[in-house]
Amino acid sequence: MLNSLRSLALLAVLSTAYAGAVSAHHSTGMFDQAKTIKLVGTVKQFQWTNPHSWIQLDVANAEGVKEEWSIEGNSPNQLIRLGWRPGTLKPGDTVTVLVKPMRDGAKGGMFVEITLADGTVLKQYDR
Amino acid sequence: MTMTPRERCLSLSRIAVFILAAWMPLQGWAAQATPLPDWSGVWQRRGSGEAKASATGGGPAKVGERSLPPYNAEWQKKFDANAELVKQDRFPDPLSFCGIPVGYPRVVNLPDSYEFVVRPEQVWILTENGPNLMRIYTDGRSHPPADLLWPTYTGDSVGHWEGDTLVFDTISIKNDGDTIFDRNGTVFSDRIQVVTRIRLTAPDTLTADLTVTDPGALTEPYKIVRQFRRIEAGARVYDYACRENNRNPIDASGKTLTLGTDGRVIDIAK
Repeated sequence: MLNSLRSLALLAVLSTAYAGAVSAHHSTGMFDQAKTIKLVGTVKQFQWTNPHSWIQLDVANAEGVKEEWSIEGNSPNQLIRLGWRPGTLKPGDTVTVLVKPMRDGAKGGMFVEITLADGTVLKQYDR
Repeated sequence: MTMTPRERCLSLSRIAVFILAAWMPLQGWAAQATPLPDWSGVWQRRGSGEAKASATGGGPAKVGERSLPPYNAEWQKKFDANAELVKQDRFPDPLSFCGIPVGYPRVVNLPDSYEFVVRPEQVWILTENGPNLMRIYTDGRSHPPADLLWPTYTGDSVGHWEGDTLVFDTISIKNDGDTIFDRNGTVFSDRIQVVTRIRLTAPDTLTADLTVTDPGALTEPYKIVRQFRRIEAGARVYDYACRENNRNPIDASGKTLTLGTDGRVIDIAK
């Protein structure tokens, strides 16, 4: 398991393609809008809840040690209109998530796009 | 005596008109001179919810380019202080607290979807976010007398139809601290009064023109324009129970925290 996580480990700073995204429930000031990081990992839990959905993602760090990330997204009413479903993610799924990370370096952030194991891409916003 | 076909037709027409004239008042249709507009379906706000921070003055606003309110000196200071809190990401927004109604006029400035339910005696604005309910009486009643009126989040709204335009007046808006309109720090005093005009300006576009008067905070009336677009037919409105899994509580300083699944704060203290 750890080996597979290690082989998937990837943390890269990408462009600012999603700057300006806003959250419905609270300010997004805690997220670094100038950064987008790519996390590849294994879904531990998918919370399809209000006021935010959450992806709990196990990601191997540079040393190969598994770390749990809390990645929040919009509420189910918004996601379902963009093609997401309550069963989109299941524990154990391997996914790639683009994330606006927390400014303070905590293992958290806001997801903006996800690529499922079958290549399906789902976004957080319709723009 | 036999009737010609033309006379028979005229006679039947008179009977039909008589029956219709007797039936319509029973249905309450006679009270509405023109048909009520079709605002059915599900709607979403167009554009950003925030005023442009660089704008000044309180003149007429274009959709999406609302200017900042014309504050008096005292409230300009409040707004400037709020702007500083916005920079620090500590400006309080009732939307973030889960459970407090956003109140009026914030009701017309929300994310997620809207429904506008038009009935002969009332119009209801239902917002998915919150959810919030705005009830507007259109049955000819006036605002309650002073002894039956106390400040509430949505206040008291009475209105009427001017053709296809709903016009309503909102008073007695509760002011916990200040009535906020957006996350830029736009606030109003407890003397706020709002006249709102809503109409279809295109088949799938509802436009709300708000005129805010507030002798406590503003030097002149402040105009706000909000637009809503009708989304695809058959769209559903969903449950929004904000307390279900709120992992972003606000601390005493106004900072938004992030909790792990175990309820512990994951923010790294600075």
